[in-house]
Amino acid sequence: MIEAENLTKRYGDKVAVDSVTFSVEPGRVTGFLGPNGAGKSTTMRMIMGLDRPTSGRVTVNGKPYAQHRAPLLEVGALLEAKAVHTGSSARNHLRALAATHGIGIKRVEEVIELTGLTDVARKRVGGFSLGMGQRLGIAAAMMGDPKTLVLDEPVNGLDPEGVKWVRTMVRYLASEGRTVFLSSHLMSEMAITADDIIVIGRGRIITTGSVDDIIAASTTGSVKVRSPRATELAEALQRDGVTITSTDSEVITVAGLQASAIGDLAAGRGIALHELTPISASLEEAFMTLTAGEVEYHSEAPVASAAAASSTQEASR
Amino acid sequence: MTAVAERRATSVPPTARVTFLGELRSEWIKFTAVRSTPWILGATVVVMVGLAAISAWSFSFLLSNPEDTGGPGVLPDDFDMAVQAAVAGYIMAQIVVAVLGVMVISGEYATGQIRSTLAAVPTRLPVLAAKGVVVSVTAFLTGLVGVGLGALVSIPLLSEHDVTIDLAREGTLLALLGAPLYLVAVALFALGVGTILRHTAGGIAVAVVIFFVIPLIWPNLSPDFFQETSPYLPSLAGARLLEGESATAALSPWQGYGVMLGWSALALLGGAVLLRRRDA
Repeated sequence: MIEAENLTKRYGDKVAVDSVTFSVEPGRVTGFLGPNGAGKSTTMRMIMGLDRPTSGRVTVNGKPYAQHRAPLLEVGALLEAKAVHTGSSARNHLRALAATHGIGIKRVEEVIELTGLTDVARKRVGGFSLGMGQRLGIAAAMMGDPKTLVLDEPVNGLDPEGVKWVRTMVRYLASEGRTVFLSSHLMSEMAITADDIIVIGRGRIITTGSVDDIIAASTTGSVKVRSPRATELAEALQRDGVTITSTDSEVITVAGLQASAIGDLAAGRGIALHELTPISASLEEAFMTLTAGEVEYHSEAPVASAAAASSTQEASR
Repeated sequence: MTAVAERRATSVPPTARVTFLGELRSEWIKFTAVRSTPWILGATVVVMVGLAAISAWSFSFLLSNPEDTGGPGVLPDDFDMAVQAAVAGYIMAQIVVAVLGVMVISGEYATGQIRSTLAAVPTRLPVLAAKGVVVSVTAFLTGLVGVGLGALVSIPLLSEHDVTIDLAREGTLLALLGAPLYLVAVALFALGVGTILRHTAGGIAVAVVIFFVIPLIWPNLSPDFFQETSPYLPSLAGARLLEGESATAALSPWQGYGVMLGWSALALLGGAVLLRRRDA
């Protein structure tokens, strides 16, 4: 259980995290979603007592992290790949970590095996790939068999097999009743892995809720219709609350009406339909909608951003 | 909520918690796991033995050629050549030990290890204390080995002049142990500086300037202020341990060492305050 209350972090004039309040529940995987620079890592570092909040507070399992007497048993964290001395071997890094809490060598071997590091455990961390570094970070996070896991971009740099491994692992850990809080800027990953999502942009919480709710709330479903008499059909469908866009002369996209209503209306007028496809929005689209205007660094691709802007207007109408 | 699965059994003792002894073990593991450590310690010993040999050889030359060099009369009264040769290497060894003291913390900042370290021990100060113990013990033992081997190479070089180390003589033991003790204070000072600056090159530069450059310049500056304060510089104060009792010195050997430890304590205090306050 993680509870943040008006948590704020300022660096000089710049507000990295702006009075965020949220809670992360046990037994579920909670995703922390936002573009780069949104304040995800800063928030996670404050949870772990590494950065001091400018104001507000955050507790883990009922207490500020630093007040736990056995912090590794409360929270395991992966905050950045390779937070490890490059001259040390993976095994020695884990041994040193275990020693702080009087955890024995047997547990060190367990987490090495659990994360598939057996073959490289005695190699210097300086030569590790990003993926290996991530596995070592997860091994370190699992050291104290913690009740809560805080993972910052855990799939970053992993190969597809590694991504699947992390996904399975965090789902399993949550099923054991643990609190799992993981950040990502990859919406597609969140849609598969997370139960709940906290969306953050420019240091502010934009929305929170279950993955399904967020998709449902932030977009209206639309229907793709193909017909030789598409223009005529579009005129017939025109009414308040309905948005119709057309990509070519035979295809229209209708937002605000169910597929069944469109089919019935077309049948009533004798208009033949060649295609009638409900399109449900992806989390990605929902995210783009939610964070439009909250992204700190806009890309300078005029075509892409114009397209994103127009689709946003369509959706919000 | 989803169904709660049975947790796998693990080897994490339910009583596990942070203890200072555990943190000490952790720091020791990290210290010995890094490849640079044996290199630095080896270099310290080599430098100490090498300088002992050079000193012994030059004292021997002095005694063999009194008409050219002025003989032993150029040295201070009560100057124990055998002992001073054995400990001569501390001057150079202090630089290597300072590097060690700085790197034990700055290396963690450079690699990101510090965030793993401070997440495991979020109260932070035990980390600095444990590092202090580790570098102190290491500096002392390395200094002891350096002085011992230094004595072993310098005694044969001086034996033809009937000069040797007499442990029963007053001040001998103090001078021989003085070098390792001096190195302990250097290591602690460097750890403090490394914690304040969090940067290897900067930390080493500051330590070298304070222990090596300032003591060469300060006493030779002209206003009386510099001459009056120079005995209190960390390196010159600490060196009193190796020089033995003297009627003309401003500080006794132990007073001098006390002053030097005071400087180390000041550096560590600054480091401790910043370590607690700053974001990692």
